[in-house]
Amino acid sequence: MTFALLVAFTVIFAFLAIQAKRLLSSALWLAVASALLAVIFYLMGAQLVAIFELSIGAGLVTVLFVFAIGIAGEEDTNLRSLVPKTLAGGVTIIMFLLLSWFLLPAQSAQPSLPEQSVSTVIWEQRSLDVLLQIAIIFSGVLGLLGLLAEIKAPLEYPLAEQAAAERDRELDELYYQSIEKGAT
Amino acid sequence: MEKYLGIAVIGFPWLGGLCVWLIGDKNPRFLHKLASIFAAAGGLFSLTLLPIISDEIILSIPLGSVFGDFTLIADGLGVSLAIIAAVIGGLAVIYSSDYMKDEVQLGRYYSLTMFFIGAMIALVLSGSLLFIFIFWEITAFCSYALISFHNDDPKAVAGGIKALIITQVGGIGLLAASLISYSLFGSYQINTFLSQATQIPVTVLSLCAFGCLVAAAAKSAQVPFQTWLPDAMEAPTPISALIHAATMVNAGVYLLARFYPGFEYVGGWKTAVILVGLLSALLAALMALVSQDLKRVLAYSTISQLGYMVYAVGCGAIIASQFHLLSHSIFKALLFLCAGALIQAIGTRDMYQMEGLGRKMPFVRAAFIIASLALVGLPITNGFFSKEMVLEGGFKLGPAWAYVGMLLGVGITSLYTIRMVSLVFYRRTGTDKEIHEAPRVMRFVLGVLAFGVLTTWLLIGTFSQLYADSLPFHILHSEDLVVVIVEIFSSPWTYLALGMVFLGLLVWIMRSKFTKLTQTLAPGALFIRQGFGFEKINQLIIRSINNTAGSLRKLQTGQLNWNLVGIVLGLVVVLLFAAWVGYHGNTTF
Amino acid sequence: MNLSLLNIAGVGILSLLGVGFYGLLICRNLFKVVIALQILVKAALLGLVTAGYANGKINSAQSLAITVIVADTIVAVIAIALAVQIQRQLGTLDIKNLAGMRG
Repeated sequence: MTFALLVAFTVIFAFLAIQAKRLLSSALWLAVASALLAVIFYLMGAQLVAIFELSIGAGLVTVLFVFAIGIAGEEDTNLRSLVPKTLAGGVTIIMFLLLSWFLLPAQSAQPSLPEQSVSTVIWEQRSLDVLLQIAIIFSGVLGLLGLLAEIKAPLEYPLAEQAAAERDRELDELYYQSIEKGAT
Repeated sequence: MEKYLGIAVIGFPWLGGLCVWLIGDKNPRFLHKLASIFAAAGGLFSLTLLPIISDEIILSIPLGSVFGDFTLIADGLGVSLAIIAAVIGGLAVIYSSDYMKDEVQLGRYYSLTMFFIGAMIALVLSGSLLFIFIFWEITAFCSYALISFHNDDPKAVAGGIKALIITQVGGIGLLAASLISYSLFGSYQINTFLSQATQIPVTVLSLCAFGCLVAAAAKSAQVPFQTWLPDAMEAPTPISALIHAATMVNAGVYLLARFYPGFEYVGGWKTAVILVGLLSALLAALMALVSQDLKRVLAYSTISQLGYMVYAVGCGAIIASQFHLLSHSIFKALLFLCAGALIQAIGTRDMYQMEGLGRKMPFVRAAFIIASLALVGLPITNGFFSKEMVLEGGFKLGPAWAYVGMLLGVGITSLYTIRMVSLVFYRRTGTDKEIHEAPRVMRFVLGVLAFGVLTTWLLIGTFSQLYADSLPFHILHSEDLVVVIVEIFSSPWTYLALGMVFLGLLVWIMRSKFTKLTQTLAPGALFIRQGFGFEKINQLIIRSINNTAGSLRKLQTGQLNWNLVGIVLGLVVVLLFAAWVGYHGNTTF
Repeated sequence: MNLSLLNIAGVGILSLLGVGFYGLLICRNLFKVVIALQILVKAALLGLVTAGYANGKINSAQSLAITVIVADTIVAVIAIALAVQIQRQLGTLDIKNLAGMRG
């Protein structure tokens, strides 16, 4: 019963995130949905994923959103959508029905061997995944740095300019002096 | 041992092409010699395949489950076409060393020609449907590149693109047939397909059969795909001789002959093939009759003679069709190469401006006339014997209406041929242009080919013997040379055909009596000159495709939401298809 | 309908997928598009964990889900950075004004 309620509320909060008028509300509804999802994961026995989802989904990503919305500012999001809502809704419902024809009723199966503990699975069986995650994080950080670079103005060297101006002045004086000397 | 020969015959031209390409354009004289040597060696090598003709696979390289096995089979059908491709290719390259001596970018020219020859040999020797398709496409590409060799000439480029598009559309039929074979039998091998052809459900087999017919018709420039060949005459003349007379256009006829045992019982297929051959033979002959451009006349003549070969395959006379293919390759190549010498000497392709060529170039005139006699079908030339075999096979095995049509075609053939010969060589004019006889190298090649025209009919016996021994799926009777000669000369139908030939000659000689008739038929001549409306159909197709593409641009709104609608709809379609398959439990249709 | 946990979770996965796709089709602001993407990934995560739960292999499911969370976070980070840069360079986040690939 609680499980059904949790799932229902997650879906409702996700829908509210799409529907929200202000971007900030949107991000916050998403955070709540992430938190409920973390609880669902915990109830299914995946405690590690629950921790990850809570801290990253409800924490990191939400903070990122709030930060970015603060930088970029809010626009008027009360505009009519480009795709008519009936078309969008209809296509989505057709997809939902088709997938439910495939997926439900859900069945379970028992594995042949008892499973190993989480850490064994992560660090031994799926060690390649860990390496790839490291690579993804690395490239993500590099990409981010490249993306957020500002376009700088041309470099200014005030001291060098002053020195150049000085030299020009001296050359002009010498030139005028030589003209005066030549005239006399 | 055989597999090395097989590899050598294909690899030698390819090696030559690679060498020529790497050497580039720095040293033209060396390039001519090198290309000629490789081509001649390839031609000689191909003759070594003759002793090893059998129906066994001589080379098999397994390439995993996706591509099947790359196999080579040296049976009579494949080897005869391989020899034609290599020998005539070699002669054309030797001819080019003189014809193209003032051209630039020879590296591109020779390397493409050599790649083409190698790909053609591989096509006819291949035992796997997928590799036939692959080499088919390679030859189409080389043909396109060589037609638009003078790529600063918009007509040449347009001709090349037209040839490419039409032959590629045909290629889809071949790909469909090979994929159907793979999905049904798990293998691309031709022998597997032919041995189990009776077990394929009728609808699928019809699809394969008509797909192959479409591919063959497009490649061999048969109706309704014939519009690319006349426009391809913008290519340098040795290329016209090689690709558009002697080798590439034969690939379609080869395909039909190869798959005949599999498709002969498909309802309506044989009639369709006969109809395609008949229409091509007659329509092209009429178009040749009203053409002004010498090379165009030869192009239409090629289409017409290929129509005879296709007709023969449709009737079931496989040996006759392939023997006519052999004769036609030799005399048509001879005609084209002579035309090249003539055009080079006088500087124009318009037959109405050709004068004085007969007196100044007697050797070329003699060779041209020998080839014309073969085209018309007069005795002692190979064209006579092969054409009589085709007509005899058609009479015995095919419907009567088709035979009458083909007989009419013989008459029209002789009419346009004598028109061509008399316009080029025998017009009485007074002007005295500066014309030289063809150079030595070109004359050598013309001489070899003329010798071939006069003597290759002697090989009928060996030819049919090799075919009957090495093609397990075809039902073929081999005939001895003497038997064939006696049969041909004793049959009254032969004399009927010869009668049509002389009728055509007579009509031309007495043409001044027919001026009234010619004048009333003049608007018809214009219609024929415009390709019987087929050119208009081509342009209509292109215009409608452009308009459709223009109106479909409105779908690209540039907005992310609409693009996503497309993605989700695609997902829905895939899911619907998966649901349908799942519901019906994986049936084969 | 059997209201077992698996069925409820199945309905939940499909509903979240539906909400996510609906958001992608409806939203005009780029940030909302990123939020809709995040909802889709949450649906996928729920699907992974449900499958692991159903087959008794919850630990394999957890390790896969963790990989997905890491990758998805990086995707979200880069998408948000892109949105911020678009706002800076082009001045707008509205999809209607960003239709440069039109035609």
